[in-house]
Amino acid sequence: MSLNPDIAISTNLTEETLAGYIISATQDVFSTMVMMEPKDEFPLQEPVSHFKCSITGMVGFAGTYSGVISIHCPVSLALDITSSMLGMECAEVCDDLNDAIGEIANMLGGSVKQVLSKGGMDVKLSIPTVISGEDYTVNSLSDSDCVVIPFVVEEQKFLVGLTLKNG
Amino acid sequence: MANILLVDDSSTMRKIISRSLRQAGLAVDEIYEAGDGIEGLSVLASGKSIQLILSDINMPNMDGIEFVKAVRANGNTTPIVMITTEGGEDIIAEAMSSGASNSIKKPFTPDQLQEKLGGML
Repeated sequence: MSLNPDIAISTNLTEETLAGYIISATQDVFSTMVMMEPKDEFPLQEPVSHFKCSITGMVGFAGTYSGVISIHCPVSLALDITSSMLGMECAEVCDDLNDAIGEIANMLGGSVKQVLSKGGMDVKLSIPTVISGEDYTVNSLSDSDCVVIPFVVEEQKFLVGLTLKNG
Repeated sequence: MANILLVDDSSTMRKIISRSLRQAGLAVDEIYEAGDGIEGLSVLASGKSIQLILSDINMPNMDGIEFVKAVRANGNTTPIVMITTEGGEDIIAEAMSSGASNSIKKPFTPDQLQEKLGGML
């Protein structure tokens, strides 16, 4: 799993540089909106695309570049994240949980878009999509053009993935 | 004390912004919420007294820029500040030329809200 070579040329970014932007954006979103301080464990040691008792938030890009940025975390961590964001206890999968994880994906999408887009008009962001379940696979994470960053926060792990292609 | 209309499709973000406005010590009274531009226009049409509008850009049904255009087309001059993940200068310029007064990038801190909104409230 690595940055698409065409993307590396057209954006003038290396995989490490792009990973650095994603790490910085993720830590910024978490420190300001979630009140948590995740640490990255880049690079990912083993590919991951299969999730159990987890939740995934995704935002798509379209335009000069197309792709998906996604955040994947265990439901237990998502409950902690949502509780911290809202300042109230969130104990089960509900609309608040889905909305919170979708909004984190949305903010990550905005940050990555700022790196990719010159003025903001050449790349469009989708509305966030959220899925959760006992057992599911996210195919885009096993894509050879996906950059995946593992993070750990409060002794739990989560992933942020970015799949990019020229539009 | 000002009444605020908060337009954002994320209920989480509406709660965070509401909390942050109060944490920042801004003079806020009522906060009315809307999930997209269409709902925002409905709140304005209801005749509520609103002194400041805060709006996301990337929303379903009616996005923030269309919302700003519609508000101004109705002759409403209430200040509108965009609070958005969209930081691109062209998008912000389009929002401003459509009638927005200022913009705040998500994620933000209460201090950044105070800095951008303090003079308006």
